[in-house]
Amino acid sequence: MKNLLQKSLRQLTIFASIVFALSIPSYFFLVDWIWLKELDENNYLIAQRIENEFNEQNISDEKLAESIKFWNEIQPVSKIKYSLQPLLKDSLYTIKRQNVYSKKEIIDRFRGLKTNIKINNKNHVLIVETNVEETEETVAYIAMATVFFFLILVIGFWVLNKRLSKKIWQPFQDTLQKLKSFQLNSQKSIDFLETDTIEFAELNATLDKLLQHSIATYRNQKEFTENASHELQTPLAILKNKVDILLQSDDLTEKQYHIAEEMNKALLRSSRTNKNLLLLAKIENSQFDSSELINFDTLAAQSIDGLLEHFKEKNLTVSSDIQPGIEVKGNSALTEILINNLIINAIRYTSPGGTIKVGLSKSGFEIRNSGDETLNPDLLFKRFSRIATDDNGSGLGLSIVQEICSFHSWKTTYNFENGEHIFKVLF
Amino acid sequence: MKILIIEDEKELAKSIVEYLSEESYLCEVAPTFTEAMNKIETFNYDCILLDITLPDGNGLKILEELKKENKQDGVIIISAKNSLDDKIKGLQIGADDYLTKPFHLSELTARIYSLMRRRQFNNSNIITQDELVIDLLAKTVSVNCESIALTKKEFDLLIYFIGNKNRVLSKSILAEHLSGDFADMLDNHDFVYAHVKNLKKKLSDAGCEQYIKTVYGTGYKWEG
Repeated sequence: MKNLLQKSLRQLTIFASIVFALSIPSYFFLVDWIWLKELDENNYLIAQRIENEFNEQNISDEKLAESIKFWNEIQPVSKIKYSLQPLLKDSLYTIKRQNVYSKKEIIDRFRGLKTNIKINNKNHVLIVETNVEETEETVAYIAMATVFFFLILVIGFWVLNKRLSKKIWQPFQDTLQKLKSFQLNSQKSIDFLETDTIEFAELNATLDKLLQHSIATYRNQKEFTENASHELQTPLAILKNKVDILLQSDDLTEKQYHIAEEMNKALLRSSRTNKNLLLLAKIENSQFDSSELINFDTLAAQSIDGLLEHFKEKNLTVSSDIQPGIEVKGNSALTEILINNLIINAIRYTSPGGTIKVGLSKSGFEIRNSGDETLNPDLLFKRFSRIATDDNGSGLGLSIVQEICSFHSWKTTYNFENGEHIFKVLF
Repeated sequence: MKILIIEDEKELAKSIVEYLSEESYLCEVAPTFTEAMNKIETFNYDCILLDITLPDGNGLKILEELKKENKQDGVIIISAKNSLDDKIKGLQIGADDYLTKPFHLSELTARIYSLMRRRQFNNSNIITQDELVIDLLAKTVSVNCESIALTKKEFDLLIYFIGNKNRVLSKSILAEHLSGDFADMLDNHDFVYAHVKNLKKKLSDAGCEQYIKTVYGTGYKWEG
């Protein structure tokens, strides 16, 4: 992946190189054309000068013929010839030949003019040739200049790009950084940098609107859960107490007693679900202090101890490998809930006679319990997604575990290996 | 014994009054902060059940006032707030106990019973029922002067029964008392059965009369 400016730089460089490449022949043709045009003009001037100079001599024809012969000898590149008929048309031409003035063998390019001049009212044909720069040399010089400017341009692009990306794109980078660190559950909106770029200002305004909306929705949802749970506490308490009173009536039949008992069980379940929802809302609201120093090993040992009877009840074998002196920073009440939930979960879902292994080391806390098949890890930590068929749980136990872990910035993992469910909490 | 119930929820207060009146408790209800303040200024109570969230004030203020006045009333906070902070704060200010709503009335009765015992018998807190003697401070039980060894859970159960004499205690209520929050998560009704069975056996083996009666097939009642 490349960044935006690098991409545009590449396109610009390709375009510039095409333009510069095309400019080399164009410049050449242009320069060559100007060159030849100027030389033609020059040759005409020379022809005119020669014509004038000969006519100003006012000499006889014989003497003129002698003079022309002599002139032709000392001017090897030009020629004057007597002709009866004037040329129909002047001719302009370019030839390559040995430079007669040079002793070395050098082929030079010449621009020639063949025109009529009148000396003593007699037609003469004059040939004038002037040295022109060679094509190859012109091309080479132009190419060199072009490449030089091309390099200046590319380096300029590159330097400008770097400065632009720092300066112009700075508000964008700032927005991006702030978005990266944004967390919905912190419920804090982002203050974007003031910018005078229309696009960025628009982007920031749109993002701000979106975030405000998300935060408001999130807050509403959470408040709703919290308020709903809170409002439910009182009617649940009333119901529970009414059942208690019902149980004490003297004329209660055994059938009615069992109905009341079923109500008790259902009430216990609903109040637990309610408490758990409240707990989740509170963790999400970060209403807990996370700066206590917790002796994780003590908490784990206490929890195992408290549940020992339940292990026995189900005939489960427990082995624990708890390293002493494991201290972590966090909230002890939440950590206690975390450990209890994981162990209770293991007790509930291990078949009678199974094994549970609890391990604690510096890197984390883990619980292994024997099982038959792997569980769907996507559903495992989801609220109210019960994987087992029994309906005793609130369906929130593992969600709470996960929520407590993310509160502490710990990681939860689930694996199934060698007939064991492995739940890990990594500090 | 006089009990003041500071609770704004009428039905809740009514149930508590109804349940407690069967004991020899005299109950009064104060549904608002102002009424509660008036009552505690004028009268003395053996026990105050205090709801923290009142329509016109914070219940913790009442507790602070009681402590400032140096009143000796026992206070049990009953709150819908399960927040640990409130619990710690309440107990720090000087509440004797803290109960989170919703709770079983038998749980409340047991707590009031223990609180009353603690306040009345500071030095030797001994419950006697014929041949059975329970020392609440030393946590020992003896029958006909012979001590019997009970597990922590069995002792806990025994006190719960004593605090709820002649009341029907269903299995689920006992399970909730023994396991607290985990009661519904663990299928522990056999667990309750096992503990009650052991307690009954230990008591009868020592020659104690069978006070724990089975009612309606799965419930229990301490008669005495």
